[in-house]
Amino acid sequence: MGRLIIFGFFSTLAILSGIGIITLRNPVYVVVALLSSLIAVAGIFFTAGAELVGALQLLIYAVAIAVFYIIVISAVPWERAKKSESHYRFEGLVSLPVVLLLYIEMIVVFLLGIKASPEGKIVKFIEKFGNAEVIGAILFSKYFVAFEVVSVVLLIGMIGAVLIGRKESQTYEDDTT
Amino acid sequence: MKMIPLEAFLAVSMILFGLGIIGIIARRNLITVLMSLELALNAVNIALVGADHYLGLAEGQIFALFIIALAATEAAIGLGIIISIFRLKKVESTDEIRELRG
Repeated sequence: MGRLIIFGFFSTLAILSGIGIITLRNPVYVVVALLSSLIAVAGIFFTAGAELVGALQLLIYAVAIAVFYIIVISAVPWERAKKSESHYRFEGLVSLPVVLLLYIEMIVVFLLGIKASPEGKIVKFIEKFGNAEVIGAILFSKYFVAFEVVSVVLLIGMIGAVLIGRKESQTYEDDTT
Repeated sequence: MKMIPLEAFLAVSMILFGLGIIGIIARRNLITVLMSLELALNAVNIALVGADHYLGLAEGQIFALFIIALAATEAAIGLGIIISIFRLKKVESTDEIRELRG
């Protein structure tokens, strides 16, 4: 029961922060709403018993990515963004029924897929060894190739971000004058 | 162990995913579009972890880890692209980018 109350609190916080993300005008406020939503999602992970994913959510999302967004927002002057209109109102209203259809389809597909999936083969191991150890064992045995591919993708992404985001000499002089 | 029903996780996940999709469509600012995308990715993670909690598996959490890693890459590259767009064209809104040439 207590776990359900905590889950309700965190999910309410996440949904309120999500509404804040899509409605607030100032980008800095949006980053604060995103940070609150990420911490609430980490709380949902903890109540679901996924300690490793929750901890990594806090470390990677709520620390690294949110600070990165803050740095980018402070690097770009946003005065024009505050003055101009911040939403496409008509497009947002038109897209609402499409998104509702998407909801219904996802729920139906997921509930159909639940019936066909294997249930609880390793729940004994999770109760015996703890969540993080089981995840580590499966990650480094069954999904080892995918893990290595993800590391390669991270390396390529880092190189690409540095190459795309670097300042070229001419535009640098244009910025300073 | 199964104190939270799967439907609760699915409901929260769907609501957050829809909010993220509406944000991607309706926001005008480039950085807030990326932040709405992060919200949608988080919603998918909630669905995966909730399914794990219901089924007693660990695969969903592994996929959630992969999604977190790829979201970090996506944020880095997307923000790099936004910074270079702003530096080259001096625009920050999605309807002002009308041509592909730098």
